[in-house]
Amino acid sequence: MEKMILPGEIVWEREVNASGTYLHEGKTYATVMGMMREEKFIPLEMAYKPKAGDNVVGIVTEERRAGYSTDLNLPYNGMVPTRKVRIYLELGGMIYGKITFVDEVGNVDIGEVDKLPPGKIITVPPSKVPRIIGKKSSMLNQIREKSGCSIFVGNNGYIWIGTRGNVPLVLKTVRLIIDNAHTSGLTDVVAKYLEDNK
Amino acid sequence: MILMGEELRELVLQGIQREMLSNMLAQGKRLDEREKNDYRKVSVQKGVLTTAEGSALAQIGDSKVLCSVKFGEMTPFADRPTEGVFMVMAEFLPLASPVFEPGPPSPESIELARVVDRGIRSAEVIDTKSMFIEEGKVLAIFIDLYVMDHGGNLTDAAALAAAAALSDTKVPKVVDGKIVRGDYVGPLNIPDKPLTCTFIKVGDHLLLDPIREEERAAECQLTVGTVDGYVVCMQKSGAGSLKKSEVMECIDVALRKGNDLRDLI
Amino acid sequence: MVGSPAPDKPVLFQDGKRLDGRALDELRPLKIVAGVLKEADGSAYVEWGGNKVICGVYGPRECIPKHDANPYKALMKCRYTMSPFASLEEHGRSGPNRRSTEISKVIREAFDTVVMTGEYPKTQIDIYVDVLQAEGGTRIAAIAAATVALANAGLPMTDMISGVAVGKADGQLVVDLGKSEDNFGESDMPIAFKHRSKEIVLMQMDGKLTAEELSANIDAAIEGAEKVYALQAEALRKSYNVSEQQEFRM
Repeated sequence: MEKMILPGEIVWEREVNASGTYLHEGKTYATVMGMMREEKFIPLEMAYKPKAGDNVVGIVTEERRAGYSTDLNLPYNGMVPTRKVRIYLELGGMIYGKITFVDEVGNVDIGEVDKLPPGKIITVPPSKVPRIIGKKSSMLNQIREKSGCSIFVGNNGYIWIGTRGNVPLVLKTVRLIIDNAHTSGLTDVVAKYLEDNK
Repeated sequence: MILMGEELRELVLQGIQREMLSNMLAQGKRLDEREKNDYRKVSVQKGVLTTAEGSALAQIGDSKVLCSVKFGEMTPFADRPTEGVFMVMAEFLPLASPVFEPGPPSPESIELARVVDRGIRSAEVIDTKSMFIEEGKVLAIFIDLYVMDHGGNLTDAAALAAAAALSDTKVPKVVDGKIVRGDYVGPLNIPDKPLTCTFIKVGDHLLLDPIREEERAAECQLTVGTVDGYVVCMQKSGAGSLKKSEVMECIDVALRKGNDLRDLI
Repeated sequence: MVGSPAPDKPVLFQDGKRLDGRALDELRPLKIVAGVLKEADGSAYVEWGGNKVICGVYGPRECIPKHDANPYKALMKCRYTMSPFASLEEHGRSGPNRRSTEISKVIREAFDTVVMTGEYPKTQIDIYVDVLQAEGGTRIAAIAAATVALANAGLPMTDMISGVAVGKADGQLVVDLGKSEDNFGESDMPIAFKHRSKEIVLMQMDGKLTAEELSANIDAAIEGAEKVYALQAEALRKSYNVSEQQEFRM
């Protein structure tokens, strides 16, 4: 039984640490819209907070002494420290990397950086990214296979798509996933969609 | 006050989009799979404001522009003492896009208002000579364009909203030199509906009705305003250049497509 | 507003009914739609009686100017404006004025209470509300829209905010003042509450009431706000029903 919960509504009558909730006087309340599914609270819509370990796609915006300032679709730029990275990045170049460090004021460091060739960058709501990737990348892999496109998905909501392959199909499929992110059986729906439209 | 982050990002994205779009166009595809002279989904809703004498909401794809037409009383221009006046103002609401900031009108919003104004003025659809009230007082028509969502090609959505709003407009009664709100003489008769068709140039390609990403990738842009059978205004904007043949091609498409849009009002 | 009655003051209450036929605690027709704009991070559109209000929310986003940024939390900013065509009367001027500046401030302060700004230090959150058409109670309609827009944007809040304007017209305590009641009544008080705790986050009163009348007004407002909340909740639920998603219509 699925139930939609609004910000400020009670989720559990006891204190539970879960994403998208806060604790108050022994109870747990929702901070964002979410769904209760099998005793788990799943936030439907959440403004992204970067954390170490997240994979990100970024666009290099500036070369500084400390490193490359990178646009991550966030209010603060990410930084690729030059001392950690032995590649040369150009302004406007795209990268795929992992967040190594986030401090209390939101400065983000990125490591394990791969340079991405020219391609298309689209923005999706970060809360929908897990659905686009799927369990063990199952969703993402079927999109890659059926479209023939190279795709990298960042937890920050940037998706890089290579120029070769059926790019419009990827765009439409991502749109389909975002519109139906909260429904179950989505993987099968997408499989059929990809098959019908490839 | 400049949004450094957004501006910088826009510049960087511009470079990426241009390359991407050129690649796709070489394969004969637009980003959203439209043909080069196709409009996105267009819809018009008239009479959406009860506080205005005329109004319309126009949507092209995700772009949404609201137009309000309101009457007022004004002193006429000294050189045309018996003629009414009309003015077109545009407001790019900050809620419409992350790149719009609150504050005085930007050059883009002023340009849009003036282009729409030019189309209406050249087409002579508002009979200013019939707007005289008494000595020193004439009717004024305020056409306000409120941009509420920026999905690309705001100009065509704005011109469409304006033409629809004008066709929705009722002329208020004037008693003892004053407008009586809510009491009408009849519809504002407009003999034609000026609309615009906007194209962007990317390499050798001319695309009608650009979406936001296509606008970013564009070298320059051409807006052609038409009424049935005539061009009533043109505006080239952006840094690039156009060949005469390209302009003539756009005019040809605009004369046809303008009529398609007019049918929706 | 309040003061000596204007010469053409209408009768506001007669035969148990208000000027527009409503009961004392009845709200005007209210419609709320969530997620109507594509570009904004969150949005909502509200039609309340003759009011038409659109709200778009952006955030968290970069704080401009940088030196304003707070190292511990996001800065809430709110811009409420009335369009030049919002009133049936004269075409107005666009841009902020003293009234809209004050309203922007009290709305911002209301949301500062519930939005968990500590989650996004050094950033700003922008609430933009534009009144397209006005008929009394626009700031309350703005609050209804902004709450839905913030939830639509996924910005964390400890509670949702709902409000209503209450007052006194022709000797009767009324809920959700219409335009004439606003202009000619004896008291007007827009008031908004945190839904769960019923704590007051916005309140501006003018007029002349006894303490008992004020107390009754606040109680009536709490009930009125509940009705608004139900519609805000419905709007948010509907925004997830793909089959219910239609094109934006005013």
